[in-house]
Amino acid sequence: MTTRLLLRAAILLATTAALARSADLTPEARSSAARMAVGTCASCHGAQGTSIIPKFPNLAAQPANYLATQLKAFRSRSRGDPDALAFMWGMAASLDDSQIDALAQYYSGKRASAGPNGDAALRARGKAIYDHGVASQKVPPCGACHGPKGEGTEEFPRLAGQHAQYFMNQMRSFQSNSRRADPMRLVASALSTSELEALAAYIQSM
Amino acid sequence: MARTTIVSALLAASLSLAALPANAVPSFARQTGLSCEACHTVFPELTHFGRMFKASGYILTSLPQVQGVTPEKEQRLALNQVPPLSLMVQVANTSLAKSLPDSSGLHGRAQNGTVAFPQQVSLFYAGKIAPKLGVFGQLTYSNSSGTIQIDNTDLRFADLVVLPDEKSLIYGLSLNNNPTLSDLWNGTPAFSYPYQSSNANVSPLARTAIDGMFAQTVAGLSAYALWNESAYAELGAYRSAKQGYTNPVTGAAGPLDGTASNVIQGVAPYWRVAYEQQWDLHSLEIGAYGATFKLLPGGGTPASPTTLQGATNRFKDVAEDVQYQFLGDNNLFSLAATHIHEAQTLDASFMAGASANPKNDLTTSRVTGTYFYRRKWGGSASYFSTTGSVDSVLYPLGSTPGVTTSANGSPDTPGWIVEADYLPWLNVKLSVQYTGYTKFNGGRNDYDGYGRKAGDNNTLYVAAWLAY
Repeated sequence: MTTRLLLRAAILLATTAALARSADLTPEARSSAARMAVGTCASCHGAQGTSIIPKFPNLAAQPANYLATQLKAFRSRSRGDPDALAFMWGMAASLDDSQIDALAQYYSGKRASAGPNGDAALRARGKAIYDHGVASQKVPPCGACHGPKGEGTEEFPRLAGQHAQYFMNQMRSFQSNSRRADPMRLVASALSTSELEALAAYIQSM
Repeated sequence: MARTTIVSALLAASLSLAALPANAVPSFARQTGLSCEACHTVFPELTHFGRMFKASGYILTSLPQVQGVTPEKEQRLALNQVPPLSLMVQVANTSLAKSLPDSSGLHGRAQNGTVAFPQQVSLFYAGKIAPKLGVFGQLTYSNSSGTIQIDNTDLRFADLVVLPDEKSLIYGLSLNNNPTLSDLWNGTPAFSYPYQSSNANVSPLARTAIDGMFAQTVAGLSAYALWNESAYAELGAYRSAKQGYTNPVTGAAGPLDGTASNVIQGVAPYWRVAYEQQWDLHSLEIGAYGATFKLLPGGGTPASPTTLQGATNRFKDVAEDVQYQFLGDNNLFSLAATHIHEAQTLDASFMAGASANPKNDLTTSRVTGTYFYRRKWGGSASYFSTTGSVDSVLYPLGSTPGVTTSANGSPDTPGWIVEADYLPWLNVKLSVQYTGYTKFNGGRNDYDGYGRKAGDNNTLYVAAWLAY
């Protein structure tokens, strides 16, 4: 009970902080971010942050702080998964901090939607891993960091509704350490491909 | 008028132009910081993102900018600090199924196996010029001309409106020198398959006007709009803009007079509509395009004077195209097809005795499937066909040694191309391509009236394409 309360308080604080930052944006910055998002980012991520092509992540409702951190990692070339290198290093290279914040706010304010349901048995297996982890493989429940409903936090990405293909590509990048995040490298390496696929199916349907 | 008629002169011009391939440019990668795969399945075929980059005027950049801004924050200058330059080199070897007759008339045979080192070298400046202005500019040295010439060039202004429902409306202007060069898909002629081909092969007599006939000899301005990255419309007009022409009276670069050949009367209208739908890993485009060229024959000489007035030859082209793409991480497949119907009203040629019929038609169809595994190994298979009216004056028997003649006055030339490609790196393509003809200039056996078979023109083309 205490954990849930703490979690809710953390989400409330994060949301309040995000809203405060959103309110800080000038109309000019907001309009500039919309122009960038609709004119450039939309080709891969969709104008509303829900992408058509499943190798590109959905950005809608993604926590703003997480988005900003990733954009800065692309800009500094410290996030090195193959698609980051091929696409986002160039995309983020000329963004300044205020543009990054405005883009992050733009997408965090968009409404996310669940993806296709897929195979029920696969989803059920994925849900079990998501909710409870795999203790024998030292894999903690995903919800511990990403939220019980996959909604993400300011530090950890939203997973709910994310494309299975993007998710799997990222897991491979964590495994190979081309995207460096030690906790995720351990988790992704501990799970089998079939377990990851089950997780991907569940996450996409959330 | 001599046998070098308006139409046959156009056809002759098209033979050299047919050798010019479409291109992809590392300039854009340098400017944007994006890998080739962002814009290309395998160069030069565009992905959806590549099409949006082109429609947006080639201006997306990650390079530091030289800036000029007024106190009112009006941006007066935004110039790449490093110019987006790049080079392209193609080297090749071409072998025909049967060597050509020796043109010296000694009943010998020409060498078979033409080494092209290079076949083509191009220098590109391709990218941003100003905040809403970009260019795809290409200068090309070709071994067939032995000179450096202006190649495909597309100067583009583009802007974006964010609509109230947060959908995009991209609109712009394109000033270019090749009808369909401004287009975004790879079914239309300027950037359609084959993306590279031999310039040491035998080209058929007939080709529709919009199918590259006026490449680099016209200038056109078109306005376009793209809604929600899916619905596209373009309207433009082309006027003759011949390179290397000098007015005989002044010795200056113009104006064109009766000594120039095949001059567009006024302007030639060009139109294009298309719709693209994306879902999951798929995209499908369906469209139509066309142009109408009214040509004044010209081509006057002191012995045969003429002026740029009077009867014209009209080529009205209406075409449909379709393109499907599947872009997986490992497997990439695309299918592109076009069907061009041309109605020819040959008032000038018929009056001059340069065509047997006052009206002809010509139809070109092309369908190409391309597969690549991890953008490394792959290939294409293509079927092509040009068929049309029999006209023994327009497609003549001609004199010995034949080869480019037609025994029965038919332009029909169907055939196929198979190609295998290996890309050790994304900007290096090694290709083996085989072109086979089931008919050539209307015939299968003795198509030229001098004993040559259509299959004798089958071509094996081995090439390396380096873009850096």
